[in-house]
Order: sequence, then C-alpha cells, then structure tokens
Amino acid sequence: MKRKKWMKRIAGSFLLNGFFIICCLLALLPILYALSVSLDAKGSLLSANFSFIPQEITGEHYIRVFTEKPVLQWFGNTMLMTAATVLVAMVTAVPAAYVFSRRKFAGRKVVLRVLLLLYSFPSVLSMFAIYKLMSTFGMINTHIGLIIIYAGTMSVFALLNMKGYFDAIPVEIEEAGRIDGCDDVKIVTKIVLPLARPTLIVTGVMIVNYVWNEYIFSINFLTGSDRMTLASGLYSLQATETSGSWPVFAAASLVVSFPVLVIFFWSQRYMVSGLTSGGVRG
Amino acid sequence: MKAKSNTGARKTLIAYLVASPSLLLIGLIVVFPILYTAYISLTNMNTYHWFNYSIIGLDNYKRALFMFDSGFLSALLNTVVWTVVNMVLQLVIAFLISNLLNVKRLPLRNFYKTILMFPWAMPGYVSILLWKTGMFNSQFGLLTQWMEKLSGLTVRWLQNDVSAFLCCTAVNLWLALPFMIMIMDGGLKSIDRSYYESATLDGAGPIRQAVSITLPCLRPIIGPSVVITVFTTFKQFDIIYLMTQQVGAQTGAHIHTIITYAYENAFITNNYGFSSAISILIFALLIVFAQISNRREKEETV
Repeated sequence: MKRKKWMKRIAGSFLLNGFFIICCLLALLPILYALSVSLDAKGSLLSANFSFIPQEITGEHYIRVFTEKPVLQWFGNTMLMTAATVLVAMVTAVPAAYVFSRRKFAGRKVVLRVLLLLYSFPSVLSMFAIYKLMSTFGMINTHIGLIIIYAGTMSVFALLNMKGYFDAIPVEIEEAGRIDGCDDVKIVTKIVLPLARPTLIVTGVMIVNYVWNEYIFSINFLTGSDRMTLASGLYSLQATETSGSWPVFAAASLVVSFPVLVIFFWSQRYMVSGLTSGGVRG
Repeated sequence: MKAKSNTGARKTLIAYLVASPSLLLIGLIVVFPILYTAYISLTNMNTYHWFNYSIIGLDNYKRALFMFDSGFLSALLNTVVWTVVNMVLQLVIAFLISNLLNVKRLPLRNFYKTILMFPWAMPGYVSILLWKTGMFNSQFGLLTQWMEKLSGLTVRWLQNDVSAFLCCTAVNLWLALPFMIMIMDGGLKSIDRSYYESATLDGAGPIRQAVSITLPCLRPIIGPSVVITVFTTFKQFDIIYLMTQQVGAQTGAHIHTIITYAYENAFITNNYGFSSAISILIFALLIVFAQISNRREKEETV
C-alpha cells in the first residue's frame, strides 16, 4: 500500500518535470535553433541531412556580422538615441509627474484624464501625420527627429507611471522634510527621488526597451545604412526566401538581443513594484 | 480672499510651468498628430492629391463603415476573432502552467520559471523575425524541415490565411504567455493556503478546488493585467505585419488586424485620407473600451 503511493508520487513527479522540460524547450526553441545555426560551420542544418546540434562549430558568422555589416555603427546610433531619449523623457517627465501627483491646480484632473486616453492610442496610427510634421521641420532622416518622437511617445507612459508611484509615497515624509528646513527642490532631490528609485529604474528601462526595439518608425524615417539603429539594421539583414544569409541573420539577432536580455533579468526585481504601483492601464 | 485666489492662480501657473516641457512634448508628438490625422481623415489626400487635396467631409468614414468591400469591417471582425482566440488560449494555458508551477514537490521550480521568462525578455521584433525565418521559412524553417521529414510535403505555412493566422497565434502565445504566467503565479501565491487545507478535509478534489477556490480568488488579482493584455492583443501590429506583410516579402496571406489595415492604407497604398479615418475610428473604439473597462473595475472595487 505504502509502496504503491510512493510509486505514484515518482510517476507524478516524472510527468510534471517532463511537462516542464517540454515547455522550456518550446520557450527556447527559436533561440536555440538560431544559436546552433549561427555556430554551424558546414551548413549542415540547412541541408536535408539535418540535425539540431551543429557537427562543427565556427565563429565565422559572428565575425561576418561585425566585419561585413555596420553593426557597430548601428549599435552606436542605438546607444546614442536610447541615452538621449531616456534623458529627454525623464528630465521632462519627472517634474511633471511630481507636480501632477502633489499639487492641486486648475485643470489637473482633465489633463490626467486626457493623458490616460492618449496612452491607449497606438503611435503607429498617427505615423503619417508625424511624418508630415517632421518633414516641415526638415527632421526626416535625422536622429534628433526620432529622439523627439520617441521621447514624446514615451512621455505619456512615463508621466502617468511615475505619477502613480509618487502618489503612493506618503506626503508626511515631505512635510517632515519641510519642517527640517528643506526647500522644494531639496525635498524632491533628497527625499522623493531616492524613495522613488524603483519607478525611476522601471520607467527608464521601459523607455530603453522601447527605443531598442522600435523598428517601424526607424525604417520609415531613416534611410541609408549608416544612420540605422540596431532594430532597423536587423530588419534590413533579414534572410528572405530569396536573399540574405540566415546564419548571419541568426548571429546578428542574438548579438542584438544579448544586452536586452541582460537588462531584463537585471531589472526583474524592480519590475513588479515599479509597474504595479504605477497603475497605468493599456 | 483676494490674496488667496491670487496664490491659487500663482500655484496653477507654477505647476504648469514645471510640467510644461513634458506637456509640450506630448502636445507636439502625440496630441497634434492625432488632431492632424483627424483633419486628414476629412480630406481626399492620396498619391494623386498630395498637395491639391480637398475636404470631402465624412466620405472616408462612410466608406469604412458602410462599404463592406472596403476591408475595414472584415479587418475589425478579424481583430475581434484574433483577440478572443488569443485571450482564451492564453488564459487557459497560463492557468494550467502556473498551477503546475505551484505544485508542492517541484524542486526545480525557479529554474523552470526563469527559462519560461525568456520569450518575454527577448526583443519582440527579433523573436518574431526568428520565428518567421527559423521556423516557418519554406526553405530552412525548422518546422518546414520537420514536416518534410514526416510527410514529405513542403508546407508553406504563411501562404494561406488560415494557417498564417494559426502561425501568428502560436507566435503571439509564445510571446505573451510568460507575462501571464508570471501574473497568475503571483496571484496564486497570494491565496491563503488554509482554504485548500479545509477543502481537502471536506473531501474536495483538485478540480473542484481549482474551480471553487483558485478561480474566484485569482480573478480580482489578475483582472487589471488581463485587461492590459486584451488591449495589447487587440492593438497587435508587429506579429502580423512582420510575419506576413513586410514590403517586398509578402507571403500571400491576407490577414489584417485593424492596425495593419490602417498602416497598409497609409504607407503601402497611400490612401492617406481613408487610412486616417480608420485611425480615428480605432482610437474611438479604444476610448470606448477603456471607459467600459474602467467603469466595470470601479463597480467591482466598490
């Protein structure tokens, strides 16, 4: 009797672990396949004589990514645009979010309600209007133009998300600071911002992710290989049915993804608190 | 009294002054383009009428809403089917997986959880392109090769509407499940264990417990995240565009969500007026949905 129960438990744990191993393989399937294609020397994965693990390993495709394609240039462009977008969006949105959270003034509620509506608007839908707007300023095919677009697009999220977090910080802490003789600027920089670290990090990471992964504006607004971002560059590298090299594309995909994976797993511990207390809805 | 209203006005002025850089940026990049789109939607702007377009009133809206062959209504229907199919599958699968993750004896739980987060961590467009080329490509796609081995047939996964729809659904599930699993896993952890203990004592089986304890307890916790996911699924653009409609690499399937339809009309066929009308209609729909979901949420929390 006891033995039967034990057997049942073993079988159950076997099934359960088997299920999760299959789930994990499915979750990693395209990534692992890209990895093995990118390392495969003989092209054996492409032929009929097919196996999942390459017989001979080579770094050739990775070398080709860095030598034949202007990946480093794209990387530089992307870094620059990401940093500039985060800077512009955060420097403008932090004070705005603070004011909307802490001060009562005429029109505050209306503006917040409008912002919530704007948040549900997918920017792709007004891309044509943005294109016309930017072309009147002569900012098509410039990085500055895209930085302004990205910062403006993410500002709605940044403002609402951080405002929600500021709301959750008790006002009493600030009042205590005021009694101790801090002025407004000091209260924000010395008291509020350190407390708001999780939301600053999460909001920043979301902006970084957005710029890093944005391709539809950059393929429509930027021309010329040397101006591209990683996303639009990768888009141009795609192996189609007739052209391009799939192993090189696979290698480039993994190179591009690597920093994003690092940032993702690093920021995980802040994710839940930094997002859920912000209370922005799709 | 006068002094008070004066300081009120001053406070308002200062508040707007502090918020102005952000609000100006939003006004320029978000608000103005929407208003401009609304204006274009009233004109006949297209490739032939690039400068000499004229205002034609609501004709574009009439065409979108009342001409069935305009394509908007079928795209809308498609989008609704897409949203429903994806949400149902996503909720069922995530519920199953997150429950299994919380089975007591699972020493490798955290390892599995980390691996399962990978599809979420990857940049979305990279994953979609990897699926497109690595899995579905008719020459070197892994699934194509497996099918060839198994049946000897070369399947063109993305060529017809139904199979392309299913492929896009598979990719969407792959991309979206990690978030849902994480949310549900968090929700499950917050349910009081003692409910289950007393249910077991009362002789309730695992399925009965899932229906009578887990589901009702989980609902309010995961509600907001589910609403967010419904919106992102409804607004999905990247998957369908990248998988089937890239310029110069159309695969032959004609599945449209309303957003890819609006995009195609603006940037491929250059019917700017018509595309703008669709954009405004979508925005109106999203606003209505947002109001409904907000109201329901308020009712539930009261």
